[in-house]
Amino acid sequence: MVGGRKLKTAGPAPPSSTLVIDNGADTIKAGFVTGDDGTTDKAPRVIPNCIARDRHNKTYVGSELEKCKDFGEIAFRRPVEKGFIVNWEAQKEIWDRAFFDDKAPQKCDPSTTRLVLTEQPNSLPALQTHCDQIVFEEYGFSSYCRGIGPSFNAYQDIQAIFHTPRTPDTIIDIPAEVILLIDSGYSHTTVTPLLQGRPLHPAIRRLDVGGKLITNHLTRLLSVRHFDMRNETYIVNEMKEAACYVSLDFKGDLDKMWKGTRGERREDYATGAGIATDYVLPDSHTRFHGIVRDHEPGAAARARKSAVSTEDILTLRNERFSVPELLFNPTDIGLRQPGLADLVMQSLSALPVGLWPGLLANIVVVGGNAKFDNFIQRLQVELLERVPDECVVRVARPEDPIVSTWLGAANFAKHEHADRLAVTKQEYEEHGAAWVARKFALGLGVDT
Amino acid sequence: MTRHLPPAGSALSFQKSPEHILSSRRASDPSHLFFFFLCTYINLTQLPPLYPQSINVDTGKFKKMNNFGVIEVAGTANKATPGWAYVPDTGPALPAALQPKNRKRAAAARNQPGLSLSDLTARQENKLRKDLEALNKDNHRDVNIPVPHKTGGGSRSQNKHTPNVRKILQSQKTFANHLDDYQALLALAESNPAAVVNHPLLFLNNKPLTTSASATPAKSASPAPAPPPPTTTAEKGGASKRSAAAAKRAAAKEKEEERKKARLAAAAKLPEPAPPPPPPLSEETPQEEDVEMVDISDPPPQQQQEEKELPTYPPDGTILPPYKKQPPVPHPGDNDPLLVYLEARATFGGEEGTKYPTRVFCEMCGYWGRVKCIKCGVRVCALDCLEAHREECVTRYGL
Repeated sequence: MVGGRKLKTAGPAPPSSTLVIDNGADTIKAGFVTGDDGTTDKAPRVIPNCIARDRHNKTYVGSELEKCKDFGEIAFRRPVEKGFIVNWEAQKEIWDRAFFDDKAPQKCDPSTTRLVLTEQPNSLPALQTHCDQIVFEEYGFSSYCRGIGPSFNAYQDIQAIFHTPRTPDTIIDIPAEVILLIDSGYSHTTVTPLLQGRPLHPAIRRLDVGGKLITNHLTRLLSVRHFDMRNETYIVNEMKEAACYVSLDFKGDLDKMWKGTRGERREDYATGAGIATDYVLPDSHTRFHGIVRDHEPGAAARARKSAVSTEDILTLRNERFSVPELLFNPTDIGLRQPGLADLVMQSLSALPVGLWPGLLANIVVVGGNAKFDNFIQRLQVELLERVPDECVVRVARPEDPIVSTWLGAANFAKHEHADRLAVTKQEYEEHGAAWVARKFALGLGVDT
Repeated sequence: MTRHLPPAGSALSFQKSPEHILSSRRASDPSHLFFFFLCTYINLTQLPPLYPQSINVDTGKFKKMNNFGVIEVAGTANKATPGWAYVPDTGPALPAALQPKNRKRAAAARNQPGLSLSDLTARQENKLRKDLEALNKDNHRDVNIPVPHKTGGGSRSQNKHTPNVRKILQSQKTFANHLDDYQALLALAESNPAAVVNHPLLFLNNKPLTTSASATPAKSASPAPAPPPPTTTAEKGGASKRSAAAAKRAAAKEKEEERKKARLAAAAKLPEPAPPPPPPLSEETPQEEDVEMVDISDPPPQQQQEEKELPTYPPDGTILPPYKKQPPVPHPGDNDPLLVYLEARATFGGEEGTKYPTRVFCEMCGYWGRVKCIKCGVRVCALDCLEAHREECVTRYGL
């Protein structure tokens, strides 16, 4: 705590197991970490963080969504808004069914478990105190640690993501010394510089473009150009994940996909130029998920004309790359915010220049949107345009960007920082919610 | 009669310019025809053929062609007109359907100072705002899905909630509500600080912890203590640094302070291990020594060594003496508070603005929007999309 070198008096025995929850807006990643010798989950369980109701009025809570077959016209209720847990009634229900019910797949007993919970940076104090109160008063976890999602990512072997050449016996820094973490998820995208695992708060910047906005934009474009899909967000989301990519040459790709002026026949448009693809929409009887197919000119028209056409085919042309382009140019839809490369530069400009080389050489991108093809290449190219020539810019993403924060938090739970930062139930009852919230806000402090 | 030629490099669009487009020359005038072909920009083969001789002088309406939204006003000497010409797009003019009829008012509206092409009319801004709000929704229609409670929840006791929890579970506040509440609280704190002393939700403003849990003696709210009298003993330096470290801030501020001091090497710490990472990272090492000095139990044995090596400065040996001078004066950059939600949102900032103009796309197909519809001002890419747009534009704005 303060000063850092005084020994804490021995309190109650540390809890035997730790439940690590990465509470995202789209999915919850959760798993158990039980000491060094116990069984630790290698990968978390991914639970959709929503309550969904399909067109037959059947309700699915959390991971029951896997049982749903017909995704047409399915409506969602999400307890997480803008990255923060707002609606605890729904969130509690999802947590209960996942962790605390009798037949829950990851059943745990809160009074002997420690909880490590992630949240997004720049949260509102009211929401933070609600969270703390629910955790202690409703569930009664024995100890609890709430931290910023991006800072947990530092507790992994970061240089392995960059394939830094090093000798086999180099000691791995845990937490990593310096990273610039870009977390691009469902609700928004944040840029967080981290120094030894601690976030540099004045330099955290947020862009309000996330997976949800991209999916809604794609829905709108399709509704204007092809079929009205405004009620089928889930299907459009699948389409976005399957068919969309970030283009490295936006202008060239857009030119290729143009139909041309009146009477002009363009080669690229007719053949598809390798960019146009057909997407077969799911129907509730035979196909439950969409299929991506190579474009055959005229396939859509043929399918519609044939008497037994069972397929609805959409041809995706410039939607494929103009929709993820919003991350780099939000002004395309009129959102007055800088794109991702400019966001990084704004974040750096709030820091002393001496940190820039270290941060630029260690940019890690996590979150669902990192899975777009060419995302990191495009970001690297755009950053190289903006920084001086001598700077080394390395951008990388871990193998599974969705699970990466959870893996870091699991390492954190085993690290001694977790003991320093965790708050036990006794301390909460003694000092109150405001004290707990301030302790988490202040973080680890200055020493190693 | 001045013919309005587009100056080089200006934005061109189909924009009606009442005084200039409609000329009063006769169709048979050869120089007129020549000039017309000269200023035509697009490929003539794509234009529907013009039939100048079918013009009815009185009504001024063309009989057969698609006149791209140009409607001729009946005039006395109104003869063959080219149909359209490129006119520079200077500023956010109101769409034709909404232009004031009075010439004076039109001129006043057109000459508004301070507006540029990227500024939007009020109507467009409203539309934009509504679009962005729609993009942030989870569902298209407003559905209300009640939370299903399983009966027989097992060990969960559904009815025994503490009052705090019950209030939280029942509140139906959205994020926007919470944000407004917080802003109201901040405004209240600014205007009336006495009213919000010790408010439980105002812990983000850099006051150090005042509870018994933090038990260090010398606590100061300001980042650097008042400059101590210049001492040569490491112990006092350690104390002042300890008090500086004791004022708990976000870790970054501490690091910045040490970086500013920049010359702290305890004797016992050297030689430095580790291959040199990029130079700024070597500033990490002074912090470890700083911590060494903070520790109360350790300094005395080290002090003697340091004092012996002190005399020469710059040092002859490889061991740097610890920093003995005054700590630097407090700097406004020492305050790095936790940012509130709205402060962390990135915007364009004051002076830089947008370096590049906003890219506009065709509403119909998604290509670059190079052509503006005259009625409603929306952008499309070329003739096909323009016609498709005109069909729905007519239903909204009338002809």
